[in-house]
Amino acid sequence: MGIYKFIILSAALVATTLVDARPVSWTGGSTIMYKSNSMMSSYYYHYSPSFKYSFGAEYINDRYYNDQYISIRSTYLLDRKNTKESQRNLYITAALSTKRNDEFYYGVHGDWETRRYFTSFSILDKRSDQKNYTENELQVGIAPYLGEYNQLHTWIMLKSKEDTRNDKWKIYPFIKLFKGDFLLEVGSKESHWDIHFMKRF
Amino acid sequence: MYKIIILTTLFISNNLYAMDKMHDHNSKQHNHNSHMAVDGSKTKLDDAMYNKFVSNLDSSQVVIVDVNGMVCDFCARGIEKTFYDDSLVKKVLVSLETGKVLIAYDNAKKVDFGEIKNIFLSNGQSATGMTLKKIT
Repeated sequence: MGIYKFIILSAALVATTLVDARPVSWTGGSTIMYKSNSMMSSYYYHYSPSFKYSFGAEYINDRYYNDQYISIRSTYLLDRKNTKESQRNLYITAALSTKRNDEFYYGVHGDWETRRYFTSFSILDKRSDQKNYTENELQVGIAPYLGEYNQLHTWIMLKSKEDTRNDKWKIYPFIKLFKGDFLLEVGSKESHWDIHFMKRF
Repeated sequence: MYKIIILTTLFISNNLYAMDKMHDHNSKQHNHNSHMAVDGSKTKLDDAMYNKFVSNLDSSQVVIVDVNGMVCDFCARGIEKTFYDDSLVKKVLVSLETGKVLIAYDNAKKVDFGEIKNIFLSNGQSATGMTLKKIT
């Protein structure tokens, strides 16, 4: 995808909706994540020296290209708006592969949520000599009940995902659960599990 | 071309972070005496929540903070952790429903709304007002 298309698409999405669950933690906080779907699985650790910035290392098992590598990844909170009932965030992210000099990805993601509703988007553009593709993702969710602090929180979510290697958008439901420092997302897309686990400390 | 973009992004991220650090440092200095300017009248007390919180407290100072952006349990986890780093904090209660956080300090603590605001900011939320109550 060309850079102009990327910028235009990012701006359009930012303007219309506001994916990843909090890619930056609190100041001094650390996060470990595990992600798995039909195309890849990954283990990611990041540290946030500030509430606006995180950096970390991600081990990626790329099932599509049968490739394994580690990326150094950095995320920056560009904008946050807090109100009594809502929070909106916009992040930029970039990562460089430690395996090959020409392999990297960059992207933008944002979210807007209240205690009842959640919307988010993400665009990741991945580049190397062999790999050139984009992952676009939109999520919407609703909490069937409003949990209080320390209780189990449940979200019924819909994810719409486009991987330009497959060249079509797919929509599938998933459930997001979190309690304490743990978050778990589980869905199923075309008989493959889509799993995202996160712990903060 | 793409390499330039990604390296520029990483460079900008690092520089913005450095600028944030300077801003945080300056705002801490600026907020040093700002507790005098707090408008506590904006904070409406939830009696049931407050009474439960103070029921087993000895002599203390209880601060009730109004917080914006506290919409998600997972995102508010750092609040407790950061306040408990202060040895003069006895107890912390986060209420997502009311958008308030109650903090019980030892009487030796000089309560400073500027410091409290910075703690919430470092967790991604905004403290908008507070009320201080003494428990005898």
